[in-house]
Amino acid sequence: MRYAAQKTAQFLIVFVIVTFGVLVAMRLGVNDPARRMLGGTATQANIDAVTAKYHLNSDYFTQYFYWVKNMLTLDLGRSEIFSTDVRTLLRQKVPTTLLLTIYAVVLALLIALPVAVLSAYRRDGLFDKSAGFFSFAFVSIPGVVLGILLLLVFSIHFHWFPANSNKIYPWDNPLQSAKNFFLPTLTLALPISAIFTRLLRGDMIMTLQSDFITLARAKGVSPQRVLWRHALRSSVFSLLTSVGLQLSGLLGGAVLVESLFGLNGLGQMLLESLLRGDLLVIQTATAILVVGVVFTNLAIDLLYAVVDPRIRLARALG
Amino acid sequence: MAGTGTAHLHTADEALLRLENLVVEFPVGRTGLKVNAVSGISLDVIPGETLGLVGESGCGKSTTGRAIMQLPRPTSGSIIFDGNELTKMSGDSMRKVRTNIQMIFQDPISSLNPRRKVRDIVMEPLMIWEVGTKAERAAKVDATLEEVGIDPKRAAESQPHQFSGGQCQRISIARALVLDPKMIICDEPVSALDVSVQAQVLNLLEDLKAKRNLTLIFIAHDLAVVKNISDRVAVMYLGKVCEVAKSDDLYARPTHPYTDLLLKSIPVPDPTVKVLATKILGEIPSPVLPPSGCRFRTRCPFATDICAKEEPQLRDIGGEHFIACHHPIEHLA
Amino acid sequence: MTLITDTTSMTPTPLDVPPAAEPLPKRSRSKIHVGFWIALAWVAALLLMAIFADQLSFIRLPTAAVKNHGRSTAGYKLGPGWNAWFGVDSTGRDVFSKVIYGARTTLKVGLWSTVIGLLVGTFMGLIAGYFKGTYDRVISIVVDIMLAVPPLVLAIIIVYRVGDLQQDRPGNPGILKWFTRTEQITVVLSLLAIAPLARIVRALTMSLAQRDFVLAARSVGAKNFRIITREILPNLIPAMMSVAFTGLALLISAEAALAFLGFSVETGTPTWGKMINASYRDMDKAWWATLFPSLVLFLTVLAFNVIGDRIARHYDIREAAL
Ligand SMILES: Nc1ncnc2c1ncn2[C@@H]1O[C@H](COP(=O)(O)OP(=O)(O)OP(=O)(O)O)[C@@H](O)[C@H]1O
Ligand code: SF4
Ligand SMILES: [Mg+2]
Repeated sequence: MRYAAQKTAQFLIVFVIVTFGVLVAMRLGVNDPARRMLGGTATQANIDAVTAKYHLNSDYFTQYFYWVKNMLTLDLGRSEIFSTDVRTLLRQKVPTTLLLTIYAVVLALLIALPVAVLSAYRRDGLFDKSAGFFSFAFVSIPGVVLGILLLLVFSIHFHWFPANSNKIYPWDNPLQSAKNFFLPTLTLALPISAIFTRLLRGDMIMTLQSDFITLARAKGVSPQRVLWRHALRSSVFSLLTSVGLQLSGLLGGAVLVESLFGLNGLGQMLLESLLRGDLLVIQTATAILVVGVVFTNLAIDLLYAVVDPRIRLARALG
Repeated sequence: MAGTGTAHLHTADEALLRLENLVVEFPVGRTGLKVNAVSGISLDVIPGETLGLVGESGCGKSTTGRAIMQLPRPTSGSIIFDGNELTKMSGDSMRKVRTNIQMIFQDPISSLNPRRKVRDIVMEPLMIWEVGTKAERAAKVDATLEEVGIDPKRAAESQPHQFSGGQCQRISIARALVLDPKMIICDEPVSALDVSVQAQVLNLLEDLKAKRNLTLIFIAHDLAVVKNISDRVAVMYLGKVCEVAKSDDLYARPTHPYTDLLLKSIPVPDPTVKVLATKILGEIPSPVLPPSGCRFRTRCPFATDICAKEEPQLRDIGGEHFIACHHPIEHLA
Repeated sequence: MTLITDTTSMTPTPLDVPPAAEPLPKRSRSKIHVGFWIALAWVAALLLMAIFADQLSFIRLPTAAVKNHGRSTAGYKLGPGWNAWFGVDSTGRDVFSKVIYGARTTLKVGLWSTVIGLLVGTFMGLIAGYFKGTYDRVISIVVDIMLAVPPLVLAIIIVYRVGDLQQDRPGNPGILKWFTRTEQITVVLSLLAIAPLARIVRALTMSLAQRDFVLAARSVGAKNFRIITREILPNLIPAMMSVAFTGLALLISAEAALAFLGFSVETGTPTWGKMINASYRDMDKAWWATLFPSLVLFLTVLAFNVIGDRIARHYDIREAAL
């Protein structure tokens, strides 16, 4: 419990510093933030209202305090530049990015698991060697290049998937949605699948060398079956930790992939608000990404603490 | 075993080094728990003596050795070396005093920086203290290397990994000697070496000790190794001292149940007491949560209620033989 | 995406787990692999062509349209062939020579940002790993903060805001005008490298600081500065060499991603990411203008990764550290 409290405190510190930093970064050197938020044609009354709402005349700490308060009450404000409520904007964009990231992690696991089992089972065999080769290539390939190659082959040459993925949600049109999300997901998933494969393969090779496999073998259970059964169970925490560590990169990658495939999510919203100079939306979008990263990692840590406190106690007792 | 108590100590001016109630604790991560690595031991070493320190792996032998060097500083207790209270000494004066006490470590590979030439490694102490002229330093390093049986020419050209384990230990000894220390703490200097090499390194240490009038603390988990080289032996268990006696006496009359078990395990070919003791006695308790009263009681064949309640104190049983046990083994005269 | 995914995956060790990794000198060092030499040759060829592009007759100026049968070519009018090896782009410029001139910028920016990131990250990691305690706690929080913002997002926001501040507005004259776009990109990329590098160096330093030779140095009276520079730093070098190349690969990817998103060096200076961005919407008409810069980018990143990987294996650096 102490551990959980400490972790939570640590994450909160990180979260506060980052979001405060983003706020300052957005407002530093801006003389008339209200006018910037409202665009050129704003009336003085509007400017005053916005200045009062966000306490733009106060110091950054006060502004931050009210920003947090607004966030907590889900009063995200209105973007004059997008001429809509930020909340409405988010409701349109966040699901796309969320789906994309979840799809990518799931697909990466679906690829990594069988590859790792087969690799570990015949270690240094032909399959293992080629899997290692491809893993290396996928870890190396820049996201832009992977996306371009997939587009060129599957969309432009074969016309199997659309080049412009205008988002369609699975609950509206499952088939079209799957088609639209496939290439972006694959672009995001392949590099992580390579990372997962390496991780799982290492874990499984260790499992194969452990006494308990010898025991299973003595009982006549094939090692491959043991691997399948125990693969996920024994690696679940290292996988989770890895997901946590990849998440920040994954979301950054989502910005790129959304742009590349014209998928209209949070990343696109961020880029568009940069183009239009909407400081409010930039700040909110960044904050949401940071919340996602920080709190997923916290959740993983806490899960780890709750599910297996024995691990840490055992370590403490040496 | 639990020995606290100072009955076994010599008078303060007789001893070159004197530890009193030394305690060393390490925090366990940020859990609030602590490792009780050394829990109030008292020991002393008189000039020219070799004191053996034995006990199972993890009982706090190395920690004691390092605490003497103030690396890291102990949690509490007193360490008097050559009339100086080391625990109260400032960092800078400690740096100077430390050159009088040197250490030789167990792992020959880890004790030498893999990315430096061996001769530079031995030269390093002289460089730090800017001893003599360049030529004098070179002469001293070469003489010391020859003293331990390493060819200075080869040492000038080679890195540690080009030498065998035994040679690496000799290099470590040369580094320790080059500042002409009064005392050397040998932390299991031979346990990583082949048996054939062990004797050579031990002989070298004995020769050097005689020639240079050194005082040694000799740490080992193997009683057989300690027996021949030590004048007196202190047996440690889980951060406590349980028996201190002259070497011959200890082997002739092991009076503490733990010492007795350790001795019984000597003749077995496997040199690691750890393995044996574990086989005989079961797992050693964790130093994070040590047993109450006598720390040995969880594995002691003679343990009774009092052992859980009261910590035995070190007491004299005659002939400079001290033990900390409520039910010592009786020896027929 | 590869780019960032890997920046973080360089250290799969959570901050409070004791580091297992340490570079050990291996007695029989593994043979250098052919892949290493191919990678090195690729990098060397690219570097030489980039440096001597103005002198080499087969590399045109990237600023003039390619002449075909005496006439200037227009947008995408010439595919890959003898005249223009990689074809021409939307403005009739030679894709091959733009790729070579792009290499100049990309390699320059990548190298500088790696060097800066390496210096700062190593410094932070050394301090945190060697002194531990408060230093470590503060530096670890700084590292956590840097890792909490998706790297690509961090980079675009900084570049955007600097550009924003440079603009003159009524009653709000631009500032920071001395800060060129190339410098901004370099600094931003080095920022991305600092946190992961600091983590790696911290872990390595912690494990080195526990080795007996450090204790021995201290017992003969060496002070902290001497221990750090003579005992620890030399032992970090093999790992740092490997990490430098892997990091360079990642930063080149990141640079391309940024450029693709429209945050790149000054207009007029080609980079691979910019070339991809300018032509990928026309891939159905002229695949070459996008594919060739992409492939060169990939091969270069791959080459640096191969070099880093081989150095790591050569020195037997355990994967956990990377
Ligand atoms: N820096 C440290 N931090 C935390 N715990 C430590 C540290 N150093 C030693 N310990 C713990 O203190 C106890 C005593 O360790 P020490 O190294 O002194 O034992 P030892 O008797 O030398 O054993 P060995 O024969 O294995 O060398 C062990 O439980 C060890 O885990
Ligand atoms: S008899 Fe009691 S006091 Fe003596 S060693 Fe055993 S447990 Fe400890
Ligand atoms: Mg030890």
